[in-house]
Amino acid sequence: MSQLAERAPLFTDEMEGGLTLTLATEEATRCLLCFDAPCSQACPAGTDPGAFIRKLRFRNVTGAIRTIKTNNPFGWTCGAVCPTAQLCELACSRTQIDRPIQIGKIQRFIVEHGWNMGFSPIKKQAAAKGKIAVVGSGPAGLTCARELALSGYEVTVFEKKGLPGGNLRYGIPPFRLSEKGVEREINEIAALGVTIKTNTPIEGKDGLEKLKDQGFKAVFLSPGLWRPIRLGIEGSNLDGVMSATDFLGTLRGPDSDALAAKVKGKTVAVIGGGSVAMDTAQWAKKLGAKDIYVLYRRSYTEMPAEEKEKIQALNDGIHFLILTQPVKYNGNGTLKSIVCRRTRLGGPDDSGRRRPEEVPGSDFEMSFDMAIEALATQPEAELKDFEGITWNGALVSAEGESLRTSLPYVYAGGDIVRGPALVVEAVADGKRAAEAIVNHLEGKGE
Amino acid sequence: MKDLSIDFCGVKFMNPFMLSSSPVSNCAEMIARAFDAGWGGVAYKTLATQVTKIIHPSPRLNKYNNQACRMIGLQNVEQISDRPLEHNLKDIKWLKKHYPKHIVVASIMGFSNKEWEILGKAAEDAGADMLELNFSCPHMAIEGSGSKVGQAFDLLEMFTETVKNAVSIPVMAKMTPNITDMNEPAMFAKKGGADAISAINTISAITEIGLDDLVPKPNVFGKGAASGYSGPCVKPVALRFMADMAQNADLGLPISGIGGIETWIDVLEFLLLGASTIQVTTGIIHYGYRIVEDMAEGLSDYMEEKGFDTVADIVGKALPHVHHTDEFDLSRQGVVEYDLDRCIGCGQCYIICQDAGGQALSWDAENRRPVMDEDRCLSCMACSFICPVEDMIHYKEMPKGWVRHDPEPLED
Repeated sequence: MSQLAERAPLFTDEMEGGLTLTLATEEATRCLLCFDAPCSQACPAGTDPGAFIRKLRFRNVTGAIRTIKTNNPFGWTCGAVCPTAQLCELACSRTQIDRPIQIGKIQRFIVEHGWNMGFSPIKKQAAAKGKIAVVGSGPAGLTCARELALSGYEVTVFEKKGLPGGNLRYGIPPFRLSEKGVEREINEIAALGVTIKTNTPIEGKDGLEKLKDQGFKAVFLSPGLWRPIRLGIEGSNLDGVMSATDFLGTLRGPDSDALAAKVKGKTVAVIGGGSVAMDTAQWAKKLGAKDIYVLYRRSYTEMPAEEKEKIQALNDGIHFLILTQPVKYNGNGTLKSIVCRRTRLGGPDDSGRRRPEEVPGSDFEMSFDMAIEALATQPEAELKDFEGITWNGALVSAEGESLRTSLPYVYAGGDIVRGPALVVEAVADGKRAAEAIVNHLEGKGE
Repeated sequence: MKDLSIDFCGVKFMNPFMLSSSPVSNCAEMIARAFDAGWGGVAYKTLATQVTKIIHPSPRLNKYNNQACRMIGLQNVEQISDRPLEHNLKDIKWLKKHYPKHIVVASIMGFSNKEWEILGKAAEDAGADMLELNFSCPHMAIEGSGSKVGQAFDLLEMFTETVKNAVSIPVMAKMTPNITDMNEPAMFAKKGGADAISAINTISAITEIGLDDLVPKPNVFGKGAASGYSGPCVKPVALRFMADMAQNADLGLPISGIGGIETWIDVLEFLLLGASTIQVTTGIIHYGYRIVEDMAEGLSDYMEEKGFDTVADIVGKALPHVHHTDEFDLSRQGVVEYDLDRCIGCGQCYIICQDAGGQALSWDAENRRPVMDEDRCLSCMACSFICPVEDMIHYKEMPKGWVRHDPEPLED
């Protein structure tokens, strides 16, 4: 086992191949090794690229792996999907000379290299300090679980779905984030003694209290947002109209072949302009859809998806119909067409983006076989049943620093508190809540 | 394009660029391609008699990389030519027939006085324009040869004399750098009658050790060895030997410069320090024969810009500026000056000034800029070497009488 042996990148079968040792070293050589590195201050989850890039450069590859994995159990996942152009790479000093260091790609490579080497820097700890429950197995929940396990707690994660991972599995498509890679990071967490109980929803008004009664000293609530917001226009019940949540989720489940067959050769509308819309459109393309139209009510620059996702979609032949608002689904049992209305941009709304205004008399109709609504998502309805939890609009209310909810033994984080957020922000919440829980249980002061 | 021709020991080279005696000059087919690419001459890979069979170790080479920078050095256990002598002689004849204006220098190595004589004559008869005596290979697999001779000055003188007495073409002695003062063996070569010196051969070195098997590389079936090291990393050492010999008035022989040459600037530096031809191997192992095009064009444009009419006009032009360090004027001092308008705030200067310089810089964290206390600056210039912004940091001479502030001793 030579720690610097060159090997092929992992997961080229599913997602874009990563860097090799040679390429990662070349990229690391571009790094200016800044004092008080700005990249290391730009990560919500406290990633320290200034340290791991320096370590790679000085051929301390095991140290680089340790730096990433100690900080973030989803170091590989974040390296693959994090919008680094808006975070660490935006802060990179090198940008002032030419272009930023490819920090995300280097991070992903370092974790993969550790896997290739069989090097794991994280060691299991004895679980002697009591039981803690985590509700939801997305990146927030599993990060919190790992941190607590490393602090000596016996952690059980309760997951409603059939497999753990949350959005990493049921949201982000495998061509953007390899399922094998996600499973590897989840297995690393399980190997530290974290129990993950799937098909085990926590529900009912006393759902959280029951956990307390079972001896769990604290609960971290991170169920995510799985109820899609729908347009609610006429014809939404037609066969062929669905939400992106259902579309992406079904493709990861037992009925994936049937859905794939429905998409092949068809004309598909994807409604929305975010990352989920881009993922949905791309996946429809991969499944052999004839034509895919992204229908978005504002303009190109207001689309919340990452620039590279948008450009990739355009280059893949996906058509963008901007300034277009669907107003009605037509069909007889099955979708046949969508009536759309032209919009134009008015003044800025609360988000600072220009508000779409419908143009009277501009309706037009286009034939479609499928319509997939990729709008925002909300908490599932039954979560509202939990007694003692205070809500802040659609989201759970939690204290800024500790992420403690109105129930003193319950902490919450991830999308359920933030609304739709980044994986790295979910990781940050998991870490923060774990620290607060440990401080509270061990009387370290908050 | 300027006329780059130069006279070397009475032999006219169309340009000063030669292949050195190595794998890059192994046979006529290769050398012909090198000539076609623009090389003016060749030191043909060292000939030996067939009394002693030459077998190459396998593998032959190892690289020395620095971070992502590849092959800044190269280690080899390459031996002299393993081709039959008659094949090599035929190839030399062929080259002189088809490339009469190109210069073929036959490198030879004998294992006895008689062999040196036979080889010298055979090469001359084959049409070689000059000879190069290989006294310098640091890793011969045969005892008592190569640099062992170059380090035993009486043998070196004797073999030179033997060859000189046997041939009428000019004879050049190739020096090993694995000694302290190259002038010593060079003077013995001169006493033996050498017409020129070539230097440097490779430096005996170990480039890398296998971290799993603990065997130095190249790993020849479980064994490593110190052996010849070459490439850009040895150029500064080679330049030092150039200056040493070129400034030695007692020596007074033309020099063929070797050691890490890849670009026209490298060529120029060897010329400026007294070489009048140059030889290349490692640069070709890295990039191929094509690099000679850039050497020729770059050198020609430099000569045009600086008003040099011939390559000979350049030779030795830097030597008057090469002094001993005890001749420096220490009364003149300076500091570095920053053009902070162009600074990008990486802070590398601050780190190294704190850890390796005069602690003249402090750090304005809010604006991410270094703040200079001129009176502490050592003028080491290290910050200017690592600054990623080109030409942002300059040297500035301070007025006479300016005194640098030394660090105060720490109090309890």
